[in-house]
Amino acid sequence: MSIINYVNKEVQFKIVYYGAALCGKTTNLAYIHGHITDTNKGELVSLATAADRTLFFDFLPLNALVIKGFRTRFQLYTVPGQVIYNATRQLVLRSVDGVVFVTDSHWDKMQENVESFHNLYDNLVLQGMDMDRIPYVLQYNKRDVPRLAPVHYLEYILNNRPVRVPSYQAVATTGQGVFATLNAISRLLLRKFIRETEETAAAGQVRAPAPAATALSGIAAGTRR
Amino acid sequence: MNPTPVPPLSAADIPEVTANISSPAQRLQSLLADFLDKTQATFSLVIDRGGSILCQQGNLPESTDATILAALAAGSFAATKELAARLGETEFNTLHHQGKNANILVSTVDDDAVLMTVFGPETTVGLVKFYAVGTVHCLATLLKEARTSPDSQIAISKQDFNAIGNIFHQ
Ligand SMILES: Nc1nc2c(ncn2[C@@H]2O[C@H](COP(=O)(O)OP(=O)(O)O)[C@@H](O)[C@H]2O)c(=O)[nH]1
Ligand SMILES: [Mg+2]
Repeated sequence: MSIINYVNKEVQFKIVYYGAALCGKTTNLAYIHGHITDTNKGELVSLATAADRTLFFDFLPLNALVIKGFRTRFQLYTVPGQVIYNATRQLVLRSVDGVVFVTDSHWDKMQENVESFHNLYDNLVLQGMDMDRIPYVLQYNKRDVPRLAPVHYLEYILNNRPVRVPSYQAVATTGQGVFATLNAISRLLLRKFIRETEETAAAGQVRAPAPAATALSGIAAGTRR
Repeated sequence: MNPTPVPPLSAADIPEVTANISSPAQRLQSLLADFLDKTQATFSLVIDRGGSILCQQGNLPESTDATILAALAAGSFAATKELAARLGETEFNTLHHQGKNANILVSTVDDDAVLMTVFGPETTVGLVKFYAVGTVHCLATLLKEARTSPDSQIAISKQDFNAIGNIFHQ
């Protein structure tokens, strides 16, 4: 659930970049921080080791548009990818609104990608969430490396849940696909937020769940491909 | 600012006293203002455990971004709590970081929120802790109200959404 700052009239969305170690999560945030315009970006904070490996998380706050007097803010986080940091990943996932699952496209990384995806699934379940309800997109990163797995194969192993999600090819080091990914997840979150406010409004006015539910499922279907 | 005079010690009375004359958001602010006033602390921040700000009061140095403080405080509190749990420690409600000039106290509000207070040498950790106890108690009640208050609802329509193109540009 997106968090509302009741006093400052802000809606805050938490987006977590998830994926195997070294797949390019931190690189995504660094590129966004270096290239974003039209918005108030905050500082990029990295809790990393001396060797630049993410230890706890990276954090980048972004101010976005104002809707109906409420400013929207998107807080981007990354998790440490190494298997041993699972407790840390669980802490970062707390109150998450949406996920970008970053994939390393190199053939040798397929098992790690899939393991990380399952780990995300398990960690969301531990928080009482699941991948059918939380908006997420896939990013197939490192499309510039040799020995590339083809996109249809990545789709086959990662985008095979009942509801297919949007997926983007990227080269995070040059920025290719980075903003497409960010905009996609941000729009999914806004859309979900609007659906929820409509639901609340409908519940508050009249107890007529039937027509509301029909309208809502219409929007929900719109998010699916 | 403060619509009704607040009895000096029982912070627990504030929600009832002002219940009918102001919104939960206003009462959250006056509760924090009153807390800062009594403790002489400089800044306080109510944070969702995921790291988002719920409300804030007081002053920070110009260059300090409260959003980042919130993310770091929530992370640090969660990590320390986890550490404690792994050592079999259950009674763990506050966290105090002591610096030369700045101190930070993080206190549990409820399952979803924590209160972070920044204070300097003008006051003592004992005093801040003392008033924090009553304050978090009130905060828990007020946050529950704020979450469902009509003031906190935003009416955004599908049309508004469709008018929005890309959210971020490079
Ligand atoms: N060739 C190539 N290298 C990349 C790409 N994205 C990230 N990298 C490199 O992969 C390494 C790990 O990236 P990092 O963002 O730290 O991974 P993280 O562990 O997921 O945060 C770094 O050396 C990056 O420069 C990409 O699209 N192509
Ligand atoms: Mg990293």
